[in-house]
Amino acid sequence: MTDPILLFLTIDVIALLLLGMCAAALPLAACGFLATTLSGLGMLLCLPPLLMGTAATTLSLPIGPPNLSLHLALDPLSAFFLATLFLAATAIAAFQATTTPLTPVALVRTTAFCLAGTALSVLAADGVLLAIGLAISCGAIWLPRGSRLPLLIPLLMLAAVCLLAPAGFAPNFDAIRAASVDPNRAAVTAALTIAAVAGLTWSRPSEHCWTRDALTAGVIIPSGAYLLLRLITELPGAAIPVWCGFVLLLAGAAATIVEGWCAASHPDIDGAVLCLARRQAGLAAAGIGLALIARTADLPGAASFALASTFLAAIGSGAACVLASLAARAIAGSAGTYRLSRLGGLVHAMPATAIALAVGLLGLSAIPPGVGFAGLWLLFQSVLSAPRIGGLLFQLPIALTGAAIALSAALTTAGSLRLIGIAILGRPRTPRGAGARESKAPTRIILLALAGLSLLPGLLPGSTLWLLADPAIRALTNAHTGVAWMSPFTAVKGYLALPVLALLALTTGGVMLVSRWSPREAKATGPWTDGMAPPIGLPFGEPAAQSTGEGFLPPLPGIALPRRPRLPAFMHPRPPSAEAGPWLILVTFAALLLLLAMAG
Amino acid sequence: MTLFLSLFAQILHIGLMIAAAPTVAGAMDWLDARFSGRSGPPILLPWRDLLRLSRKTPMTIESVSIVARLTPALGLGATLSAAALVPSFTLGMALSPLADVLVIVSLLTVARLAGGLAALDSGAAPPGLAAQTASARAVLAEPALMLAVVTLALMGGSLNLDQIIGQQREGLLLPAAASAVVMTAMLALVFAEASVPADGLDEMASGIDLAIVRMTAWLRRLVWIDLIGGLFLPVGMAAIGSAPQAWLIGLAVWGIKLGAFILGLCAIQTTLGRVPHRRLPDLIGVAALLALLATIMVLASAGTA
Repeated sequence: MTDPILLFLTIDVIALLLLGMCAAALPLAACGFLATTLSGLGMLLCLPPLLMGTAATTLSLPIGPPNLSLHLALDPLSAFFLATLFLAATAIAAFQATTTPLTPVALVRTTAFCLAGTALSVLAADGVLLAIGLAISCGAIWLPRGSRLPLLIPLLMLAAVCLLAPAGFAPNFDAIRAASVDPNRAAVTAALTIAAVAGLTWSRPSEHCWTRDALTAGVIIPSGAYLLLRLITELPGAAIPVWCGFVLLLAGAAATIVEGWCAASHPDIDGAVLCLARRQAGLAAAGIGLALIARTADLPGAASFALASTFLAAIGSGAACVLASLAARAIAGSAGTYRLSRLGGLVHAMPATAIALAVGLLGLSAIPPGVGFAGLWLLFQSVLSAPRIGGLLFQLPIALTGAAIALSAALTTAGSLRLIGIAILGRPRTPRGAGARESKAPTRIILLALAGLSLLPGLLPGSTLWLLADPAIRALTNAHTGVAWMSPFTAVKGYLALPVLALLALTTGGVMLVSRWSPREAKATGPWTDGMAPPIGLPFGEPAAQSTGEGFLPPLPGIALPRRPRLPAFMHPRPPSAEAGPWLILVTFAALLLLLAMAG
Repeated sequence: MTLFLSLFAQILHIGLMIAAAPTVAGAMDWLDARFSGRSGPPILLPWRDLLRLSRKTPMTIESVSIVARLTPALGLGATLSAAALVPSFTLGMALSPLADVLVIVSLLTVARLAGGLAALDSGAAPPGLAAQTASARAVLAEPALMLAVVTLALMGGSLNLDQIIGQQREGLLLPAAASAVVMTAMLALVFAEASVPADGLDEMASGIDLAIVRMTAWLRRLVWIDLIGGLFLPVGMAAIGSAPQAWLIGLAVWGIKLGAFILGLCAIQTTLGRVPHRRLPDLIGVAALLALLATIMVLASAGTA
């Protein structure tokens, strides 16, 4: 069953590559349609192996030097992440095809190349194909903007896989699984993988590019989580040292706080949404770190909870973040700006887009029944196993991570309140904002369909994980407790999103019914100006008197830092120019080859 | 029969919470005045206020959206849901499988979020400023509360509130010192919440909407009192599956606990005064640090056990 599916997926990826190459020669509308169709087809192809839980299958491509032929594989882990990134890419491509004015061909080409490269890296079963796939996707995103440093990422990943491969063998995943991995090499692999994934997630050019932001949220971040799972959790197996788990845990926790803070204070709506997406990457990293620690301590249940939260973080990034990103683009296209302090009152002019943005943002917040809350609940379930892990030195980072995740959840909720309250609600702040018009019907349909899809994993987290992620979680931890605790069919007391939503709907409906008994009809009035007369020329009040989105965070305590000593003038390093990029890549590649040669 | 009893207990609990919220608010105002040497308003004044407000014609700003019309009901609905999950006089109510401490905390967050959205939708400066301030305060207070309840869950081995209270009743929530530190943290949070000035979030509401917003605030305070009472003083609470006769004792003890708590809170407020607005982050920060300290104490004791 899976063999033809893997073949079709390979053909789908090749077709996307061809589309990227021929995009300039095709009509723009045809490009968008083809990209949407190919992405959607890829998503549909991933569903049968996911739902039926079929075993892993491989496909060898007769390309490359002897003994270094390229290998592709499809297993439950890769199928889950492929489905997630194909779903996100379908939405992005469909949005590009329907939005007005039509998206430039360069961005359609970027989408096709990025998706094809990332899908290739997820399907790859050897280091060479993994590096090729990542090189395509990194090149598609960063080369047009003159940023060459992220091109080191494929080399880092190639070096990571080569370090895991046994001496004398090609960097093939099957060969790595068959051999025992040296813990020191596994640790270096983990360090290289973490560096590469951090580079993938946190590299960003200065200018606005909504396609790149949406691709980062929907394609790059899930693929980063996949790379961490594959190269740190699955391939080295038990050889990975436990401190790698702690590094991932603390780095992920720190990233969630920093990005949560950034989301609640960023002046632009697209920047804030991207910060929320990167926070999902931090959550995924923390979940993987926790799973590694729990696995080392022989706690498969706790590892299962942590991995389930990682899978939900990937879904959140692929669905809710992409939705918010697309809605932000639709808003900026109509209102003429991404600046939060110049938006406002869009719920009246663009109701469907406003609903889509609100669904995406609230889904990421730590409130039920969003997918963000389900992930948070699973992460805390895993943290509850901390007393059974090692001594206080091991337990302390886990406790600190729990505190960091709680703080990050509050920051995300504050960020969502700020974005919804300032951009959507209130009164328009500028004439251009007041003149904003709703997106066209096809764009609205795409946004609302994605909103519905992003609601599903929050409403039915147990069923979603059971259907899509359970085989992968079982393969990595030999347990599926994390899934079972969210299912209404088990005796254990877990988090049941639907009954909680039903209770909330029942009580809210009851209050609304009671409030309708009030005998008086509401009387409409003008804007409240605190008893002051409205300014001359502004009969409906001064729109700039509304909140501009600052002050949603507490002030940081002032810490007196020691002054940095001034260096002599000749010691000031000059920043490397863009021309130095290729030389830097060559030097790094040579250094890595030397490292590999020394490692035998 | 057990199902019927648990359902009946649940309905009785919700009814009692709704009835007690304005009464407790009235009693606190009266006690506050008495401690200051004034005669004080009638205890049932909040009930009269609710009736008066529900008969008034509400005024709505023309520019507000449907969000401002729905959020008061959503806020009260979320707080009522949280209240339904926190046990008062008996354990094992019909909704106890849903009584997850994280769900309860997040339902209170939903209520706060609803208030903030309504304030920002009004398009006026003072409510927007109030929403900003409330959000900045919640960024510190919500993690502190979350950490406190997770510490209790660490001790109890479950996030389910009924199970944690059950273990506290049996004296199994160890170490007791950590439990006391968590209680101090939660009391600090309640004290901070009680010291929050009337911040203008309800400035744009009127008529029945204002009645709903006020009821939400009173019910929220009662949820806090019930949560602390249930977690740290589960004396007299009827056990799961106990006969309705045991409920009577539970109801009487619940009333006594409520009285003692509001008496203590008013006495502290009169003695120490309300915390100045600029000092609230410090108090909430101390609560968060206490919760973290309790977590470390629990982990250290598990390591040495």
